[in-house]
Amino acid sequence: MAQQAASNEQEQEQFQGPVTQWVTFSLADETYGIDVMRVQEVLPMSEIAPVPGAPRFVLGIINLRGNVVTVIDTRMRFGLESRDADKASRIVVIETGDQVAGILVDSVAEVMNVREDEVDTAPNVGNEESSKYIYGVVSRGEELLILVDVNKLLSREEWEEISSL
Amino acid sequence: MAVDTQDDIVQDFLVESREILEELGEQLVQLERAPQDQDLLNAVFRGFHTIKGGAGFLGFDPLVEICHRTEDLFNLLRNGEREVTSELMDYVLRALDVVNNQFSDLGNGEDPREAPEELLRALELLQEQESVGDAPAAAPAAQAAPAPESAADGQTVAGGDDITEDEFEALLDALDEDKQEPAAPAADNGGTPAAGDDITEEEFEAVLDQLHGEGQHGGVPTGVEPDAPAPAAGGDGLISEEEFESVLDQLHGAGKGPTAAGAGAAAPAAASDSGTARRPASSEKPAAAPAARSGGNDGGSGGGSGGGDSGAGGAAGGGKASGETSVRVDTAKLDDIMNLVGELVLVRNRLSTIRSQYEDERMGQAVADLELVTSDLQSAVMKTRMQPIKKVFGRFPRLVRDLARNLGKEVDLQMEGEDTDLDKNLVEALADPLIHLVRNSVDHGIEEPADRKAAGKASKGVLRLSAAQEGDHILLTIADDGKGMDPDALRQKVVEKGLMDKESASRLDEKDCFNLIFTPGFSTKAEISDVSGRGVGMDVVKTKISQLNGTVDIDSAQGKGTTLRIKVPLTLAILPTLMVRMRGRKFALPMSVVSEIFELEMGKTKVVDNRRVVMVRQKAMPLFFLERWIDAIGSLETEDPDAGRDEQQVVTVNVGNQVVGFVVDDVIGLEEVVIKPLGSMLQGLPGLAGSTITGDGSISLIIDIPSLVKTFGSRM
Repeated sequence: MAQQAASNEQEQEQFQGPVTQWVTFSLADETYGIDVMRVQEVLPMSEIAPVPGAPRFVLGIINLRGNVVTVIDTRMRFGLESRDADKASRIVVIETGDQVAGILVDSVAEVMNVREDEVDTAPNVGNEESSKYIYGVVSRGEELLILVDVNKLLSREEWEEISSL
Repeated sequence: MAVDTQDDIVQDFLVESREILEELGEQLVQLERAPQDQDLLNAVFRGFHTIKGGAGFLGFDPLVEICHRTEDLFNLLRNGEREVTSELMDYVLRALDVVNNQFSDLGNGEDPREAPEELLRALELLQEQESVGDAPAAAPAAQAAPAPESAADGQTVAGGDDITEDEFEALLDALDEDKQEPAAPAADNGGTPAAGDDITEEEFEAVLDQLHGEGQHGGVPTGVEPDAPAPAAGGDGLISEEEFESVLDQLHGAGKGPTAAGAGAAAPAAASDSGTARRPASSEKPAAAPAARSGGNDGGSGGGSGGGDSGAGGAAGGGKASGETSVRVDTAKLDDIMNLVGELVLVRNRLSTIRSQYEDERMGQAVADLELVTSDLQSAVMKTRMQPIKKVFGRFPRLVRDLARNLGKEVDLQMEGEDTDLDKNLVEALADPLIHLVRNSVDHGIEEPADRKAAGKASKGVLRLSAAQEGDHILLTIADDGKGMDPDALRQKVVEKGLMDKESASRLDEKDCFNLIFTPGFSTKAEISDVSGRGVGMDVVKTKISQLNGTVDIDSAQGKGTTLRIKVPLTLAILPTLMVRMRGRKFALPMSVVSEIFELEMGKTKVVDNRRVVMVRQKAMPLFFLERWIDAIGSLETEDPDAGRDEQQVVTVNVGNQVVGFVVDDVIGLEEVVIKPLGSMLQGLPGLAGSTITGDGSISLIIDIPSLVKTFGSRM
């Protein structure tokens, strides 16, 4: 990973394109990225209070220093098999315009620099469920980084559509 | 020209003018009842004048136009050249509506809309009529006649409808002949120096002062030179130039101004602020009284009107001069503070828990102190959010007046306890339900004058509105002395509407019958009127009030009247709840609906119509099992499904008009909680009112009982 970061910087110097930073996390052995500006903080797994009647994708709510934050089961959201949280599991607290929510991920890795021209709007990565929330992909040699569109991930319209299924 | 609502000056103008407008609405209705009240006339005049001044300064011409005309009219009124009549008031109230609309335009960042030409004309004509008052008596009489007609015809309750073209033509015709009268222009600038179209320097100054918020409240004494101005006003009401000069000197020497204690007396002196000291404050002396009485708002208006009228402006200025004692704060900031205080309370609770584990005296003391300070802080912050119920009550005089006129009824509105404070959010949330109930009382409750006479009652109906604090609740009462409700008619109605079968209806007692009006789809008025009778009202009222954790109670005596009692908590921020445990998790039930708790004995329950019931005082009470709700939809891991199965508790709650029992594993106790709204993704989930963080830092959900029963009742 460190090597990769170093090579990023080299490439950056060569091309000088606009660079964005992405927090990467893993889910079922895939690496995803979220715009660093959207990430408020990363929390260790804590007790999540379930909410009866909530959409299935909502794990429940947590107490974030006195504010109640909804936590989303990202695996289920992406149509992946669900699995119990373990020690590496993290809740990434993200914010979009008007709301704050947590997403439960398998682990959080690092912050990556991505040049705009590296991003392919490649479709059909993963499955249909997850492709809705994908902004683009970045391939770095062997690895593929999937960039997530946070707004879509949290948009309520999507929720209603899905919970009505 | 687009309006920059972000601009501080515009903002201040908007905020202050809205306050004035609110008062104006009230004052105008009072005026109709007491047309000779010089104080009121002056207050109204000042109100319009102030708005005009500010609007002129900011270049809102349509606003200036209408305020100017209204102000001119009131100048005649207060000089006794014209009498207050209902017809005239209709126009003035319409003008106020127009001004209100213009302000909402401004608030939206648009240019204020033009006032309807015909209204402006009408206002002008009303003045001219009076100007020709010395002419043959027949002429004004003839003019006066068409005006009321068109007013009555053209106006709806809200006063928003325009006069039809024909009517207007007729009105114009009627007035045309008299328009040649030379006396007509007298109404304009000539007679009244204050009413000039242009803004004088003094006015401008005053407006500036006002906009920069030179102390809008006069309620608190500042302790500077209380006796200096006193002699000035203590005399015969006429202040000579010399006196004024000396007062001026004293004031400027002494700094800010007189105390509020001397506000009444000091008033004329304070007029010096607006630079109009040269004019003696002779006949306007009584104006000191209202200014001192109504404090803050008048202080603001006084600043603006000071230029136009030395006496009135001065009186209000007295309040203004006593220094800055208040600031405007965005409510969002208060909400933030409230939130933080809530956090502090939680931290304190945690500390208290920890304290009990350590035997350290010093720490114990510190935590005890913290507890004290936090409680004080909590109540102090709470108080900043309090507003008098007047905010809502203030609309009713106008509403009732318009309604009564529209329906041809006579209603005397009496209000009590307008100063009762309650949470700002509550004040806002209560507005709609209260308006609805007041409308209903006037429309359905109070009879037509003829019917009242026939029933041996005074032709004027009485509608009493009162507010009072009762412990941690506010009790609002709306009582009319109208025809009351007929339980049998209600029974019949509910059967006709197919909402209930005949037998169940006949079993209802009187109280149950009255409560029927809260049933969705139930409306007693045969005709659907403009005012009420769509049959959606009362159940919405009830729902709204339940949302505020309040209750509505209705009582009626046929022929004697109906009384509605609304109980709401003092604040929405903190909710007293009953904490219960279900499946190892804590849930909070709002205390407002909980009535009793008892132990469940399965042996004594019966199954009726697929629902388990328990007999309580010879009445069957349906039971709802909370665990089924949690199991059916939630993914809660059941810690020990059979734990406590034998010793479950029943919490009795009121849902609508029904009493039901909720079966829970354990009752923990009473806890005051700070409501935390659920994120937007979880908002509107049936059965949940929000969440809260308990003393140990964990989250519990607050159950919305009515919606839970409605949505999941059949599965519980």
